[in-house]
Amino acid sequence: MAATMQLTKVESKLFVRDPIALFFGLVFPGLLLLALGLFYPGFDEPAADLDGARYIDVYAPIVLVLGLATLGLVTLPPILGTYRQFGILRRLRTTPVHPARLLTAQLVVHLGVAIVAAAITILIAKFVFDVPFPQSPLWFALSFLLAALSIFAIGLLVGALARTTVAAQAIGMGIYFPMLFFAGVWIPRSVMSDGLLTVSDLTPLGSAVQALEDSWFGITPSATNLLVMLVYGVVLGAIAVRAFRWE
Amino acid sequence: MAIIEVSDLSKTYDGIAVVDGVSFSVEAGETFGIVGPNGAGKTTTVESVEGLRQPDGGSIEVLGLDPVQDRFEITQRVGAQLQESRLQDKIKVGEALELYASFYRDPADWHKLLDRLGLGGKVNSKYASLSGGQKQRLAVALALVGSPEVAILDELTTGLDPAARRSVWETIEQIKASGVTVVLVTHFMEEAERLCDRIMVMDRGRVVATDSPAGLIGRVGSEQRLRFRPSEPVADEDFMALPEVVSVAHDGSQIVITGTGNVVHAVTALLARRRVIAEELRIEQSNLEDAYLALTNQDATSITAEEEN
Repeated sequence: MAATMQLTKVESKLFVRDPIALFFGLVFPGLLLLALGLFYPGFDEPAADLDGARYIDVYAPIVLVLGLATLGLVTLPPILGTYRQFGILRRLRTTPVHPARLLTAQLVVHLGVAIVAAAITILIAKFVFDVPFPQSPLWFALSFLLAALSIFAIGLLVGALARTTVAAQAIGMGIYFPMLFFAGVWIPRSVMSDGLLTVSDLTPLGSAVQALEDSWFGITPSATNLLVMLVYGVVLGAIAVRAFRWE
Repeated sequence: MAIIEVSDLSKTYDGIAVVDGVSFSVEAGETFGIVGPNGAGKTTTVESVEGLRQPDGGSIEVLGLDPVQDRFEITQRVGAQLQESRLQDKIKVGEALELYASFYRDPADWHKLLDRLGLGGKVNSKYASLSGGQKQRLAVALALVGSPEVAILDELTTGLDPAARRSVWETIEQIKASGVTVVLVTHFMEEAERLCDRIMVMDRGRVVATDSPAGLIGRVGSEQRLRFRPSEPVADEDFMALPEVVSVAHDGSQIVITGTGNVVHAVTALLARRRVIAEELRIEQSNLEDAYLALTNQDATSITAEEEN
């Protein structure tokens, strides 16, 4: 336990010392929402094609999921690739501490950064754009944790299979961009066609956006959305743990 | 009492025996060297001792334990430095030591350890800013931070400049002096000769010889070589008439005489009687490098060919 605490402490320091990861993981989601709301005409006014909701209301949960995806698919896999390539995981194998604890520490650090980034985003939404605080906080927290679980599991799997830092980066990015599409970053889910919406519902990011949007505005998230995230998280996470190569 | 007992160890990769029937034992407090050409199976052997690899045959006992079965206990009591392993660029020296110290039930005082290894002033330096020698001394510090009874160091000085290599050697001499049993894998015969009590020479997965440095040198004969330029010509026959002289050759204006026993005295005495001065006199003795090359059947030409490939 002491070792896991120490690992988490050191890995958080290392995360903070990486300015690019820190910017995109911690600040970027809130900054993006701020930029969209301030500079995109009509973004904070009721929109006809959203049945009177505002684009800022719809984009707040999208930006949260974008933040999770950046951490899980862009930041996490290359770190794991580097740790394998440098022999850091292998070196840990010669100590009484199993290298799996380093993975745990990484997941804890990434979750911690994700929570802070989400808090920043929620505060900006509330105080700059008058988006209310999440109306069903417990469902919202559950949805957020399941979203993190499912997205980090994908990142863990990429990190488990990619041999090098560069490979991990490339595969992570290759998943990141199509996933953002299904999350509704370019076309919000509310204006997607039924067919596209079904596909989006079956991706962890699409389900994450819907569950977060629902609970944010006081609607209980659908069992389908929660289940999709849970299944991705558990299945991919289990495969990643089994497939993980320490050297 | 033997701290490490390896008998008939074998390991095969893709049908090729990388380690083939290797046996040796290391006594408490001893510094044991493993030398051999690339691909001799040195690293596979020590990584099996560390429990990182599961052998295909034979048995290994370290501190009376099985390195694979008794994984946790072995990692508590055996410190390792791995070939080609590094740390995160942005981790600070002090953070790395504090972290690794937290892994062990009886950690050493890492501040003292760093001072001893000459890294005391580097506590707040990031890994990427360290020199090659400092990185290797840090690797030694991490291998020792759990207060191990055995330290296994794999090619600690490869890629270091001569000054850094010497500072790492001093570090290893300190470890020896503190009573820790050391297993040292190395490419450098000078390093093995200086640091090791006994040396195992490996070639193509097998043990070629295990002996003290002096014992290994003795195996390839006690031939000595004199090289000088005589101030007056001396006939080859006069040298050959000396019982200690084996051969006489000419290299430009220099004479090269090889012989055994007291050949140096015999030749210089002859020259003194003739009032001939031996200018540019050099005496060359077989060293561990000669012994190593002879034992692993490598001569200078085959090594050059290998390097060119």
